[in-house]
Parts: sequence; C-alpha cells; structure tokens
Amino acid sequence: MRVLIIEDEKSLASEIESFLLKEHYKCDVALNGNTASELLAVNSYDFVLLDIGLPDYYGLDLIKEAKEYNADAYFIVITARGELEDKLKGFDYGADDYLAKPFSLLELNSRLQAISRRKFGHSASEIKFGDFVIDINKRFLNYKKIPIDLTKKEFDLLSYLVLNKNRVLDRMQLTEHIWGSFFEEDYDSNYVDVHIKNLRKKIQEHDSQSWIKTIRGIGYKFELSE
Amino acid sequence: MILPKTKLKNQLALINAFSKVLIIALAVFLIPRLVRTISINEMDNQLIEKLDQVYELIEERGIEEFISADEMDMGFGSYNILKEEYISIEGTTDTVLTEYIDNSERIIEEELYDYRVISAVIQYDEDYYLIEIGKSVNSILSFEAKLNRFAFYLLLGLLTLTIIFDLSVTQIILRPFDQLIQKLKKSNHPTTFDYTSVNASTTDFRYLEESIHSLMHRIEDAFQNEREFIGNISHEILTPISIIRSKLDNFVNTTELSDQELIRIIESKMTLGRLTKLVRTLLLMSRIENQEYLLNEKLSINSLLNDVVKEMSERFEIKDLNVKVENSEPEIRIKGNQDLMHILFFNLITNSVKYTPEGGTIRISAQHLNDRAEISISDTGCGIASVDLPHIFSRFKKFKESENNFGLGLSLVKKIADYHNIKIEVESEIDKGSCFKLIFKQ
Repeated sequence: MRVLIIEDEKSLASEIESFLLKEHYKCDVALNGNTASELLAVNSYDFVLLDIGLPDYYGLDLIKEAKEYNADAYFIVITARGELEDKLKGFDYGADDYLAKPFSLLELNSRLQAISRRKFGHSASEIKFGDFVIDINKRFLNYKKIPIDLTKKEFDLLSYLVLNKNRVLDRMQLTEHIWGSFFEEDYDSNYVDVHIKNLRKKIQEHDSQSWIKTIRGIGYKFELSE
Repeated sequence: MILPKTKLKNQLALINAFSKVLIIALAVFLIPRLVRTISINEMDNQLIEKLDQVYELIEERGIEEFISADEMDMGFGSYNILKEEYISIEGTTDTVLTEYIDNSERIIEEELYDYRVISAVIQYDEDYYLIEIGKSVNSILSFEAKLNRFAFYLLLGLLTLTIIFDLSVTQIILRPFDQLIQKLKKSNHPTTFDYTSVNASTTDFRYLEESIHSLMHRIEDAFQNEREFIGNISHEILTPISIIRSKLDNFVNTTELSDQELIRIIESKMTLGRLTKLVRTLLLMSRIENQEYLLNEKLSINSLLNDVVKEMSERFEIKDLNVKVENSEPEIRIKGNQDLMHILFFNLITNSVKYTPEGGTIRISAQHLNDRAEISISDTGCGIASVDLPHIFSRFKKFKESENNFGLGLSLVKKIADYHNIKIEVESEIDKGSCFKLIFKQ
C-alpha cells in the first residue's frame, strides 16, 4: 500500500509517516501543493492524505487534479476547520473520508483499513477469535454460527478493539472512534465502560474467556495470540 | 402637525389631502359670495342706467306722460310680464332729493318677490316725485344656490381626482424607496443581500441606493475577513495540537512504557483533548456570532430530542438515571440549523446528567401552549443557588459557593438559542433540582 502524505506542517507529516511506515505502508511526503501535484503525476498511490489548508494550493483542487492521473487512489481529507460545510464540499470534490485535526493515528489507520476492506475487497474482513467470528464488513458476530445481537456502538467498539488487537486503546481513543470529536462537556468520561461491560456480558454468555482486558486507569486491550 | 407613524407615502398623501381639503373648503365658502357681489354690482349699474333713461324720457316727454297732475295719488306703475322688472312713479311729500339703492320685498298678486330697487326723488315743476325701478333678484338667489351646490360637487370631484392622482404619482416616485426597504427587510445577512439595482428615477434615491450598496459591500467584506480569520485561527491552533497528539501516539506505539508512564501520557492526551474542545467551542461561538450558520433546515424538535436522548443512553445508564420523555402532539417544528440544535440539546441534557446524583430523575417534556411551544428539561440534581442563576450562561464563570465551573457548555446553549430566537428560562432550587425551559414563539 502506497500512501502520499500532503501536509505543510513538516513535524506532523513526519509523525504520520513514521507511524504508517511502522504499519507497513510505503510513504511519500509532500510539504506543499506543487510537490504533491508533481508526485501525483509521476507515481501511483493507493491512498492520499490531504491537508486542505495548504499555503500554495486550494487543497480540494488537488483532488480534482490528482484524479486525472491517480483515478484509483483514495483520498482522506485532513482539516483543522472541522466544519460540516467543508466536509460536504470535500465529498463533492471526490474525497472518500474526512478527519478533523487533531486526530488519533490509530483512528487514521482504522480509516485506511476500512477503505482497504471496502474498496480492495481484502479478505481480512473476517476475523476469528476462539469460536467467535466477527465480520467487519458485513457487521455480524457469530459464536459457532449462532449470531450474537450487538448494538451499533458495541459492534463498533469490538471491531475497533479486534482490529487493534494486543494494543492498549485508551478511553479517549475509543470514545473518539464511536462518538467522533463531539462538543461535549466531560471528554474524559467513562461512558465507554458501559458498552464494554454490556459487550463482555454478551460474549461471556457463550465463552468464559475474557477477551477484553481492562488496563486500569488507561483503557482496554483485546488479547489474541497470533 | 402630529402624524401617525405610517409609511412615508401615506404621510405624504395625508398631508396633501389635508391641504387640499383646506383650500377647497375656502373656495366653497368664498366663490358664491364673490359671484353674488359681482352680480349685484352689475345689477346696480343697470338700475342706474335705467334711471338715467327714465330721466331722459321725463325730460323729453314730460312727467305727464306717466302721471297726470289730477291723479297724483294713483301714481304710475308698470311690470313686465314675468315680474322681473317694474317701474313706478308717484308723487311724494319728500322734498329732499335722494338717490339710493336697496333691497326690498314686494307682494305682487299674493306672491313674495325680492327686488333690488333704485329709488330717486326728483323735482318736476313744483312737485316732487318718487321714481322706483326694481329688478327681481330671485334669479340671482336661485343662481347662487345652484352655484353653491355645483361648486361643492365640482370641488369634491376635483379633490377625489387629485388625491387619487397624488397617491399614484407618489407611489411611482417612491417605488425605488419601497424596493430598497424591501431589499433591506429581506436580507438578514450581508451575504444574502440582493445587489440588483432598483433603477431609481431620482438622484436622491440613486444616491441612497449606492450608499446602501457600498455599505453592504463593506460589511460583507468585514464578515468575509472575520470568517477567514476564524478559519486561520483554527488551523493555526489545531495543527500544533495535532502535532503533539501524533508525537504522543507514536511515542506510546514505539516505546515500552510502564503503566504509570502510560497513564501520564494519556493524561497529557486528555489535556490536549480539553484544549481541542475549548478551541472548537470558542470557534463555534465566533462562527455563530459571525452568523455563518444558515437557519434554513426544517427541523422536528421532537425527533431531534429523541435522537439525543438515545445517543446519551449510556450516560443515563452509568448514573442509573431515570429519564422520562413526554413528546408533544403534534411535533414542534422550526426552521433552524440541525447541528447547532443537536449541540444545544446535547449540552443541556449533559448538564442535567452532570449535576444529578445517581438514581435521580430527568424529565424531558415537549408541549404546545396557546401562543408558543415549550421544551422543559428538569432534573432532581443539586440545583443552582439563586445568586448564581443570572451568571450560568456567562463564559467561564466560577462560583465560589458551589465551586462549580459551568464552563462553556451553557453559554454555547444560550448562544445557539439566541441565534434561533428561542427563549431560555431557568428555575432552580438548591438540592431539589433545576428546570431549563426552551420557549419557541409561534
């Protein structure tokens, strides 16, 4: 998977790059619109991360331009404006997803994976743990072929944990994943705990093994040996 | 003159009509009198002429032609057939020679006639004679009465015509003015102002229009600058936050950390989260102040409220709160901005959840009253001290007594409500609970 990171803030671009390299993506970085435009004309990318607040280019115009050479690339727009209007405009211009600054790198990864599964038809959409099977695309959880009824939030939480297996996810990351970055009073709340509790209850009706481990004061980890 | 507060064109028409009524009343009063004076004068002249003719006749033919000396008492009298004129000569005992004109009434064949009479006493030979020549004024009087009526109707007609004329002319002349006012009324924001010219025919209105347009352009520019400024600020602040956030994410990802160390990193991320939220909320408030949100979505308040309640279910669950929603029939519908209204309800209910102890009750009800619709959100929470009540919508107000910080949540609520023209009322009693009411005028 080849990713082009278009971000004028060098420090942020290099953080995204080093994270994605670790996740086994191939990365190019463009610090301005002109470089990005050249790179897009020469190379072919699977993903383009685009900060629309570029100094020398109207970011969304780059999508139009890039679609000529890189018709198959998927565009994730990054913006600090966080305005719905910008978001809709981005989709109009052909953006596939949208992330508001600041965003969690894990969230970015999960968006890339989601697009991969959706667009490239990766077989990785089905993941097994014990006698359970979770299908992230078709959105179901089965235990020995018996479907388990989960709410939307429970399913989102479980799939996010499973996709980031063996990695500690803090409450903030989980909260942001299922609620987005909301204008709410108490950000650092434990609301996510309720859903984890319900989720565990539903899983433990079938299997006593505790798949979701609590990391005190931090968050949760889904443990699955490779 | 005190005029009622109406439109300019109505005031003009009113003043016009008033001055015309004055002039016409004066004319109706004066014209018949003037006509009468002139015709009486004319008549007097004729009478004097006739008298002169009679003098000449007497001179030529002698008085005996009219009156014989033997029958001095009988006198001479002659009427024309329609009794419009008469002449009489008779002897008189007056010895003073006079000539005067006067009005007098005569009964002729049992009918009353008004005459203008010239009387002259003359001396002829040794005797004195009184000559009277009369001319009926009945015709003048009836003419006057007719003239009165005619003048009245004519002037009334003229008045109506001129008022109609004035009204339509002022209407046409003031049309550009009306159009300008309509344009101002229609646009509640400079970016929606209609800059098409009204084609004013007068230089005054053209100047007015040009001034309004240039003012609007300047305001629009200011709005645009403000909007760009807000956008830039948010970029300038949120990008550094994003950098720190990514660095922390990568640090956690690539470094073996003890739980203690991890907790410290997560706390830093939380702090960044708070900062982000703060910046976003402040920017949102500036955007509302800058009127960047259109209020053109048709919203059902009831379904919005139900969505928010559903979305917040885990918050109720974690505090074991009993949440009751009473929906109104029919739904409350307004035109507004869905995102903003969502934030409003979210913040209000979050506030109730925050200050209601475990096991408490939150009651959300929607109802239609006579002239308005009302949403009330009441809780069994800790309540707000009456000294603090006026300040709960202020930004960052800290309260000594309760040590609560209402932060920005409620001031954002107030801002969104004001923007949508929704009134907010709060009632609260310490340890009993608070009730927030949203009042939608219909």
